Amino acid sequence: MPETILEVTGITRRFGGLIAVNDVSFAVQRDEIFGLIGPNGAGKTTLFNLITGLTHPSSGKLFLMGQDVTHQRPHQIAAKGIARTFQNIRLFGNLTALENVMVAQHVHTSSGVFSGIIGTPKARREERHVREQALHLLDMVNLADRAETVARNFPYGDQRRLEIARALALQPQVLLLDEPGAGMNPNEKAGLSGFIREVKEKFALTVVLIEHNVPMVMGLCDRIAVLNFGQLIALGNPAQVQADPAVIEAYLGDEG
Amino acid sequence: MDQFITTYGFLIIMMMLQAVLALSLYLPLMAGQLSLATPGFFAIGGYVAAVLSTQKFLPAPGTTFPEPLQSFVTWLATVFPLTPTGQGFPIGLVLVEMVIGGLLCGLVAILIGLPALRLRGIYLALATIAFVEVLRVVSLNLPITGGAIGIFGIPQPFPTDATKFSYIVIALPFLLLCMAYVYRLERSRVGRAFIALREDELAATAMGINPTYHKVLAFAMGAVMAGMAGAMTAHVLNTWNARQGTFDASILILAYVIIGGSRTFLGPVVGALLLTALPEVLRQVAGIDGLPDFLAAFLRDGRLVIYGFLIAFGVLSFPQGLLTPELLKRKKKASAPLPPTGGG
Ligand SMILES: Nc1ncnc2c1ncn2[C@@H]1O[C@H](COP(=O)(O)OP(=O)(O)OP(=O)(O)O)[C@@H](O)[C@H]1O
Ligand SMILES: [Mg+2]
Repeated sequence: MPETILEVTGITRRFGGLIAVNDVSFAVQRDEIFGLIGPNGAGKTTLFNLITGLTHPSSGKLFLMGQDVTHQRPHQIAAKGIARTFQNIRLFGNLTALENVMVAQHVHTSSGVFSGIIGTPKARREERHVREQALHLLDMVNLADRAETVARNFPYGDQRRLEIARALALQPQVLLLDEPGAGMNPNEKAGLSGFIREVKEKFALTVVLIEHNVPMVMGLCDRIAVLNFGQLIALGNPAQVQADPAVIEAYLGDEG
Repeated sequence: MDQFITTYGFLIIMMMLQAVLALSLYLPLMAGQLSLATPGFFAIGGYVAAVLSTQKFLPAPGTTFPEPLQSFVTWLATVFPLTPTGQGFPIGLVLVEMVIGGLLCGLVAILIGLPALRLRGIYLALATIAFVEVLRVVSLNLPITGGAIGIFGIPQPFPTDATKFSYIVIALPFLLLCMAYVYRLERSRVGRAFIALREDELAATAMGINPTYHKVLAFAMGAVMAGMAGAMTAHVLNTWNARQGTFDASILILAYVIIGGSRTFLGPVVGALLLTALPEVLRQVAGIDGLPDFLAAFLRDGRLVIYGFLIAFGVLSFPQGLLTPELLKRKKKASAPLPPTGGG
């Protein structure tokens, strides 16, 4: 029996006269890799922003594990188990790779101002644990040897992987990846599908993935939602979506 | 040495207090908030000390404090043996005033920070300047703050020390404590949350960091430090009025942080020490024998011009400030693996 972990119902977001996301409804099941595709400007990133509370819907609702989180603030939603990466990478540029990943463990730690400053045994233990955890995550994305390098000095592909490590530090239930392959070299791209699968298994995640590389999405995702001009035009498994006339129309129209 | 202290004792105390004020501005900046409210809290702290010490804590000559204050003072005197009870105002009570002034400022900061910290960047800076101005006007018009005249005759813990250098027993530990506080904070969970907000607020919130809570917290921490510094300064200056803690001070304190460096706690401290000492250094240089008269005169009288020029030069040539975390790290690395070299 599949369990719905994330659901949007009739969600709409207007920017002035533009309807970036238009009455979209779908449900993501626990454990699946859910693809989100569509031409440029279709509203994919806006949908991620809605799900993470970074923008608020003009109408519609957002549910996480059955709970209405429509009006929650981003840090509350993050604490409930949704982590993301950004299409235009948003690392803490002046912080080291290690610090980036340490910061993201905030909600799972509890040291207050004074215990942190005085360095109580509990705070010191927590600090050590946070550091080990961060190193472990960096190791997973092959950046452990550069843990002390400042984030903005990493090449593009490494920044993408560092951002994934930072998102994982949040110990999320749902991981939202916004074009993780963008800016990666062909080598890194080829390994990306395997990497996402590996991470998903290891952390028992549900993954929602925005990606322009259609063959990759078809090969990786269990189900795919297709957006066009803010509207959901198709939803189903890769074979269904690929055969959908509306999808073909949207993509051919986009290219022609 | 005596000569040195007579000449520079007061300056050294002022340098330390200014360094604390620089840290007070640095704290909200750590969380990405450009607040210029520090002089306002400094003023509040000063008034707290002035009012308490002249009206509440001071017994009539030849009498003792009313109980339970007297027992408390006696106890303080045993904890701080330096307290020259009898001849001077108890140091312990100065510390008590600092704590009360600091806490009051922290409280005010939470009250004004909750609405004000919704503003961003330059708008927050403007709002905090407005706060400083409002406080100044209010203090000019309240009876308890002594109106335009202010409060005179703030009792002295070191009545016989005209140089005020004796305050070092409070000022130095105070500065060191504030520095240690911020140093440790930068390496703790809460401090990292501040820095994440400064680096990218949106990404930080998406990583579960509550922006409002941490901004207000950083703002309040800065306010506490400024309030404590104000309380101590009131004793050092012996008088307190509405000219303490004005808009000029906001800009000066901002200059400490910009020149010193705004991404490590050492930056503001070094910036404050240097800029506070600078006018005195210039005056000394002007006094060197054999200097052409026009140059000496310029160094003496054109101090503000030189000051402004150095600030502009500093900002242009060190846009990150004199000290950056990268520089400090490189220093550490460079000095660590050096093997001891033989000979000399
Ligand atoms: N903050 C905003 N203000 C105004 N318009 C916006 C804003 N954010 C997005 N839009 C508009 O909403 C539409 C959808 O943008 P969105 O970034 O969600 O598309 P996308 O599907 O992620 O596209 P891409 O594949 O290029 O990343 C675009 O027309 C965009 O210009
Ligand atoms: Mg996008």
